[in-house]
Parts: sequence; structure tokens; C-alpha cells
Amino acid sequence: MNTVVASITYRAMLGRKRIWLLALLPIALIAFALLFRFIGGGDESVAVRLMTTFAIGTMLPLLGLIAGTGVIAPEIEDGTIIHLLSKPISRPVIAFTKFVVAASLMVGFSVIPTYAAAYILIGTESGIASGFALGALFAGIAYAAVFLLLGVVSRHAVTIGVIYALVWEGLIGGYVPGARRFSIQQWAQSIADQVTTSAFLKSEVALSFAVPAMVIVVVGSVLWAGQRLRVLSLTGDE
Amino acid sequence: MSQPTGVIHDIGYRHYDGPRLGRGAAAVALGVHSLRGAFGLGRTFKSKIMPFLLFGTMMLPAVVSITIMALLKQVPMGYTDYAVFMQPVIAIFLAAQSPVLVAPDLRHRVIPLYLSRPITIVDYIGAKLVAMIAALLILMVVPLTVQFAGELLIDLPMPLHTHEYLAALGGSLLNAVLLTAIGLTLASFTPRRGLGVASVIAFYMFTLAASAVLTGVLESEGYRDASSWSILLNPFFLVNAVQSNLFGTQPTEGLPFPSGAGPALILLAVVALAVTGLYARYRKALTA
Repeated sequence: MNTVVASITYRAMLGRKRIWLLALLPIALIAFALLFRFIGGGDESVAVRLMTTFAIGTMLPLLGLIAGTGVIAPEIEDGTIIHLLSKPISRPVIAFTKFVVAASLMVGFSVIPTYAAAYILIGTESGIASGFALGALFAGIAYAAVFLLLGVVSRHAVTIGVIYALVWEGLIGGYVPGARRFSIQQWAQSIADQVTTSAFLKSEVALSFAVPAMVIVVVGSVLWAGQRLRVLSLTGDE
Repeated sequence: MSQPTGVIHDIGYRHYDGPRLGRGAAAVALGVHSLRGAFGLGRTFKSKIMPFLLFGTMMLPAVVSITIMALLKQVPMGYTDYAVFMQPVIAIFLAAQSPVLVAPDLRHRVIPLYLSRPITIVDYIGAKLVAMIAALLILMVVPLTVQFAGELLIDLPMPLHTHEYLAALGGSLLNAVLLTAIGLTLASFTPRRGLGVASVIAFYMFTLAASAVLTGVLESEGYRDASSWSILLNPFFLVNAVQSNLFGTQPTEGLPFPSGAGPALILLAVVALAVTGLYARYRKALTA
């Protein structure tokens, strides 16, 4: 963990207009919660639907994508990473610092709005708010780690990440039950299901699979990203 | 034509006095170059992988339905909801390739260089828009046409779906125009490719989820009108609604789209807004 690298990364992520890319989706989530509350839809099924489709199903992977790849991929793309890599800081430490920044952005822009939106809709009823917030926390960290690794490994990180989120988790996960075991979204729902007592949420993946899988994915991704950063070669732009 | 006047500085370069093709030809050249770039032609192998992978995925349902037609003699999959069915693939293509068209010129600040030629800013934007529209049309029309050709050849014991096919072609054009306007405008706001991809796909996934959640909740709360309008948040459903109203085809999955000219007006307004935004963006790039 290097505080200087972290502060530079925060500035790159939050500076100027960049923050809107992160802020618009949580604002929309809160706006939906307020709208549904206003039209009188503040019951459990609405809350669970908003949480699973919008908060966990859309906002979380998207923010994970933006935060996870955003902390490192633009620097690799325009070559300025070379200034960072030529400093006497170990590369795994750089990777870990970038991961911590991405994970903290996920907490700020995804976990807290998720809790707030659920709280606006139904308060603390059935533990939906805390359950989904906890799910979003773990899944957000996992997304940040996986997409950080993608950002180091490939120049098409964002596209590959989108294909994972839309096609694998969205489409294939919808038809093939086995694919759901390898879906971060489903792991988040397992954790949420564990905390909440609401009958409207059914998780597909056992918690005994989800938690170890998540830990392995996070630790493995960060370590591998650090290793990849040690042998990173800067090739020319296409 | 022109006599050399500054003799000291004339180091003998030959002047070009052949025909000058002018503004139109320059715009066409830029358009063709951008269209090739959208499929990675004339670029490295790596930049061909993604567009061709997505194009191949778009072809899969057409191939499958030709097989079904040939073996089982059954109705092929609908032409009019091909785009709705394959919307993630089209959206990923749009997100992945829009920045390819606009980002490098912005990143290397070469817009003023283009404009030092006969080309104007409207020509530049027009060429980029037409190139992306053509790319999306190729992506959507080729599978439809292959499937229709298959239907013609196989000779099913039922009338041809010519009207559906033609309506789907019209819908593809609307889709291409709408998606291009949105995609290029969003992508042009950042000179970095990764962020461009992220912002276009964020827009799509937001509309996808927002339309699903709003429709479901509004319907269950008894706001039927508002619910049928909120489906249109998703650009693919918006185009599908316009297509059903315009050509009288069946809407996807019997969705209760609002009838009348409303959806078409929304579509026009969104396109106009996006193109205005794109124009404003390039005016700024010129002065910066």
C-alpha cells in the first residue's frame, strides 16, 4: 500500500468530469427508490426486484468495470504507467494499492447507495437493506479485483468485462444453471439471501461455495495482477 | 499556373497540379476509412478479433434457423425481433467500436489538421456517422438477408415472410441511426478508448435495467400507461415500437407498446439531441 500512488489514482478517478461516470448510476438507483416510494410501491417484492435487477445486476458490475479497469487501464493505454513503474516501488505493491483504491470506490459508489436505496424503500424490514449492502460489498471487492486483473492483462479489458457481465452472467447464466456458480452476481445474492429473511429472494449458489470462491478470486486476481505488472511490456498503440 | 516568387526558399519541390477531388471525395475517403476501421480492416490482427467475433455471433441465429427450416420445415425465427433478441451483441459492438472511430483523432488532437483540408466539421461528423451506421447495418442486415435467402431456397410449405423481412430492414436502419447517434456522441466525450467503451455500455445497461425495473414495478402498481412508455427507455424496444407502428408488424413478445406517432417522435428527438451534442463536442475540439 503506497499512499502517494493511492492519492494519484483517486485524483485520476474522481477528478473533473470522470466522477460522473461513477456517480450517475448510484444517483439513478436512489432516484428509482424515491420514485417507487412516492408512487406507493414500498413493499418487499419491489425492493428485492430493484436490488437484484438494478443494484446487483447492473450497477455493481458496471461500477466494478469502471473502477476496476479505470484505476490502471487508461494509464497503460496512454503509456503514462511507465512513470509509475520506473519508481522504486514494488509492482505487486502498485497492483495492491490500485486494488484498494478500486475497492474503496466500490464501497462509496455502490455499497452505500445500495443500502440507502433499500432503506428509502422499506427501511430495515426483513434485513433487505443490510443483506444487499453486504452482498454488494463482497461482490464489489471481487469485481474490482477481477477487472483490475483484466485491465493489466488485456487492452480490450472493458470489452471483455462487458461480455462477461452481459453475456455470461446475464444471458448464459439465465439459461444454464451451472454457469451461475461462476457468476459474481450470484455470489452476491447468496450473501444477501443469508442475511435477509425476505421470501422474495432465492439464491442459486450455496454460501459454502460462494464465500471461498470469492476469497480465491480476489486474492488470486490481485496476486496475478502484481505478477503481470512485473513483466508488463508497453507496446505501441494500434 | 503559379510562378515561384521566393527564389531563395524554392528548394525544388514539385508542385501538385493534377486534378483536386475536393470536399466530397475527401469526406467519402474518410467515411470508407472509418468503416474499414470499424471492422478492424487495415489494422492489426488484434483489432479484427472483436468485431469479427461479434459479427459471427450475430450470424449464429440465422444459421440455426436455416438449419431448422431445412430439417424440420418449421417457421424460422422472426425477422422483426432479431435485433431485440440479439441486443447485447449489437450493444457490445457499438460500445467496442464507436471509440475506435472517434477516440484516436481526439487523443492525438488532429481534428484541426483534418479541417485544414477542404473538409468541414459537418463533413467530418457526417462521414463518421455514416460509417458507423453502415457498420451497424452490415452487422444487422447480413444475418437477416442470409436467413431470408435460406427461406427462399428451402421452399417452405407456407407463404414467404417478405413483409417481415422488409420491415426488419427498415427497423435495422432506424436501429443503426439511433445507436450510432448515441454511441458516437458518448464515445466522443472522452479521448480514451477504454472510458469510451465503458460510457457507451454503461448507457446501454442502464437503459436495459431501468426499462425492466420501471416497467415491472409500474405495471404491478397499476400504472399501465406509464409502464408501456417506460419500456421505450431501452433503445432496442423504442425502435421495435416504431417498427411495429410504422410497418404494422407484431411487437416483440406481444409487448404493450404505445401506439401512434409518440415513439417515432421520441426516436427523432433523441437522434437530434445526440447529433447536436456531437456537433458541439467537435466545435469545442476545434478551439481547444
